[in-house]
Amino acid sequence: MLATLIQKELRAIILSPKFFGSFAICSILILLSVFTGIQEYKASQKQYDAATNLVNEELLVATSWGNLDTKAYRAPDPMQVFVSGLSYDVGRWSNISPETGVKLRHSAYSDDPIFAVFRFVDFAFIVMFVLSLIAIQFTYDAVNGERESGTLRLVFSNAVPRAKYLLAKCVGSWLGLAVPLGVPILLGLLLVLVMGVPLSVGHWAKIATLLALSLLLFTFFVFLGVLISTLTRRSSVSFLVAILVWVLFVMIIPRAGVMAAGGMVNVPRVAEVEAQREGFANERWDKFYADMIKVWENSCSISAEGRWQSMKAEDSARKAIEQEIEEFDARLQEDLQQRRTRQEDLAWTLARFSPAAAYQLAAMSLAETDTQNKTQYEDAMSTYREQFSQVVEQKRAESGDELGISIGMSMTPDGKQEIAVGSSRDLGALDVSDLPRFEPPKQTYAETAAPTVVDFGLIMLSILITFAGAFVAFLRYDVR
Amino acid sequence: MLKTVIEKEIRDLIGSTKFAITFGACAFLIIAAFWGGAARYGLHQSHYEASRTQNLRQLEGMTDWTAVGSTNIFLPPQPLSTLVSGVSNDIGRTTLVTGRGETSAMDSRFNEDPIYAVFRFLDIEFLFQVILSLFAILLGYDAISGEKERGTLRLTFANAVPRHTYLLGKMTGSFIVLGVSLLSAVAIGSLLLPLMGVPLAGEDWGRLALIVLTGLLYFGVFLTLSVFVSAMTQRSSSSFLWLLVIWIVSVLVIPRVSVLMAGRAVEVPSVDEMASQKARLSSQLRDEFIDGLGHFSTEGRDITGDPTRFLMTFMDSLTDVRETKMQEFAGRLNEDRFNRQREQQKLAFGLARISPAASLSLAISRLSRTSTELKNRFFEESMTYKESFGQFMKEKTGSNAGGSMRIITVGGPSENAEEPKAIDPSELPVFRFAGASLTEAVNESAVDMGILVFFNLLFFAGAFAAFVRYDVR
Repeated sequence: MLATLIQKELRAIILSPKFFGSFAICSILILLSVFTGIQEYKASQKQYDAATNLVNEELLVATSWGNLDTKAYRAPDPMQVFVSGLSYDVGRWSNISPETGVKLRHSAYSDDPIFAVFRFVDFAFIVMFVLSLIAIQFTYDAVNGERESGTLRLVFSNAVPRAKYLLAKCVGSWLGLAVPLGVPILLGLLLVLVMGVPLSVGHWAKIATLLALSLLLFTFFVFLGVLISTLTRRSSVSFLVAILVWVLFVMIIPRAGVMAAGGMVNVPRVAEVEAQREGFANERWDKFYADMIKVWENSCSISAEGRWQSMKAEDSARKAIEQEIEEFDARLQEDLQQRRTRQEDLAWTLARFSPAAAYQLAAMSLAETDTQNKTQYEDAMSTYREQFSQVVEQKRAESGDELGISIGMSMTPDGKQEIAVGSSRDLGALDVSDLPRFEPPKQTYAETAAPTVVDFGLIMLSILITFAGAFVAFLRYDVR
Repeated sequence: MLKTVIEKEIRDLIGSTKFAITFGACAFLIIAAFWGGAARYGLHQSHYEASRTQNLRQLEGMTDWTAVGSTNIFLPPQPLSTLVSGVSNDIGRTTLVTGRGETSAMDSRFNEDPIYAVFRFLDIEFLFQVILSLFAILLGYDAISGEKERGTLRLTFANAVPRHTYLLGKMTGSFIVLGVSLLSAVAIGSLLLPLMGVPLAGEDWGRLALIVLTGLLYFGVFLTLSVFVSAMTQRSSSSFLWLLVIWIVSVLVIPRVSVLMAGRAVEVPSVDEMASQKARLSSQLRDEFIDGLGHFSTEGRDITGDPTRFLMTFMDSLTDVRETKMQEFAGRLNEDRFNRQREQQKLAFGLARISPAASLSLAISRLSRTSTELKNRFFEESMTYKESFGQFMKEKTGSNAGGSMRIITVGGPSENAEEPKAIDPSELPVFRFAGASLTEAVNESAVDMGILVFFNLLFFAGAFAAFVRYDVR
């Protein structure tokens, strides 16, 4: 009985005129998104390789430890083919130097805003935006359409249990829509293989998880369509309601959630925080130099031994101030990070009222193109900066190279001015083999998949709710 | 006759559930977008003010302008940027100005707060481009085929109604209803702006009016297109499907694909490569600078008073040489990249304009000063500010060294040494961002508005031709 009903449903979907059109557009979009994703990934990989080469070259031709700095780049990940997420919005590199903190800058979009005008469409977007629309398009009249055409009455004049009928409806439309979509998805994966995107086992696991998640979201929208059709009498009404609900879930709730969180938790701008730090630093240095002038004024009259002592004292005082400023900065950054985390938590909680948002968040987490990724990179770069600075400071001490230029001017007793320019450099290349190189942070599959459990749960829960809702509504449905 | 048809259409629409639902949703969204935009503008403005204040506060207590050396300038939020985001969230908003060298803007909003980049904003641009066009399709897809299915078309033409009058009446009727209802929602939304403290100058109202007009034209394109498709098909379900396909292709596919194609066709030099070349030259020039400093001598000069001034002028002249060389080189690189970017953009936007959605987005982002032009503007104006900042520093300290330096005098005439006075940070030249004027914006967006008008006419003519041959049975 169930098999017959499912067969009937399948036939109805596959033979309907809209099936071919929708199937074609979905296939084209999925393949297009994967294709452009691969192209973009390759372009960023090329850019990344070229950039890291340049960084190495620059280190090789550096001539002084005094002003040595380097850059660390974010590495592209093959998963961005499917979920580009924030990879083009977040800065691509950060300066690494003992003097300045880590900060990701120059996002791909800020360098070439033309690509930001019409953003890239990735696989996750197609699933969230187009496939969900198609799912709703096929199921909005699942029940009330049959009532309008009179077939519902005919069916139930036979001994067909309502539960079975509804189950067959859901399963049939799900099979009829999800299985054909497997074809372009498989073709897309094939494309990834053929075009030589380097995928590890971990990547395949992530892709499999992403596909499972996509399937769940699709199921949710199929059931949502059925639910709406059991709640309304006329298909023209359920059509409108379905579109509105779709707009609400896909476009309004996620955005509204983030915007509401943005209004509720105030996060200061980075520029503001940096200016605070600068103000603090200026104040400390002012005090330092005021103290130093006193020491220098006295230093004319003291012995060479005493001068050496005072120089050492100056050096340690300088270090202490640098330390103090770093600590102040760390406090500011921590405060900023805390506010940001609070804002994010609130935003994601609000946005997750929509399963589509939950899907998007989970997909980005899987692909490591979410907001966490930025923090991870910044942490890894900070650690790298410490290692880098340590080596550079040590080398500076060994070689006597200094940062900056010191110009000494003194007046000889006969009233003549003398000037001495002290700058640290020799023309030979440095031995940079001791310098550490930046290794992009790597996450295991388990680490990326763990945060998605919540979203899996949420989407499953919403599937259950829509299915149960449709079931209850259909049991009371007036089939006439 | 025409009046009767129009009247009938108006009455039909206003009485239908479809209209009530779509209009309700649309009005709600539009007002919400205006409200959200105004609230966000307030937020951005307060952040902007806070950054500026903090930037000046860091100078408090300083006693010497030479120690200042640099300042930050910020791109102020544009009153309409929260309604039409354009690329305003993607480009850098903070520029460090040192009086020398090249400025480069950093800290784009999406880089700083990637949380907003995940789902992006619900602004007027998005509403018009994606939702309004979808609603236009919903309202128009069964204009002809639906009436046929219900049998009213047959009845109408049983009377002596000329077909063109009927079609004209139908279109005018629906356009009046939808135009008026949309405009009323937009009017309520616009009133929210001054109420919520968004300062709109007379020119901004003009911009807003043009943005709304462009939105209406775009709405018209999809409405006439729906009627056209509906007159080409016999069944309303297939006309909806066709329209859905066209909608997805023009909103999602064409704009992106054309940008990608242009990206492939025109190669733009990579920023990293450029930055590396500049850095190499800069470090070479720095070495030359240090060598040059060694040649300083005060011989033959009157050194009474402050001897450091000679050193400062000497360093200044050396820096000038360094700067000229650097600027020449960087200018060449930048210009090359800029020209190629221009070319790429021209190609991309030219291709994208096949889709009315792209025309809409280009026109309204130009009108609200959030197009790709914003980045170039900010760069140019920050370079101008750099000049005036350099001039200011020269007046204050006698040198425009670029970057902070400290001059510490030890010993010297300590008898008449007075307590150094604190500097007044408010003396710093103020950065004012002007942006493109309304006339420029109108000139630039005229093409896109023209394209939208053309699409309107084209689809109207198409609908007309199709309907004349339509089988009303």
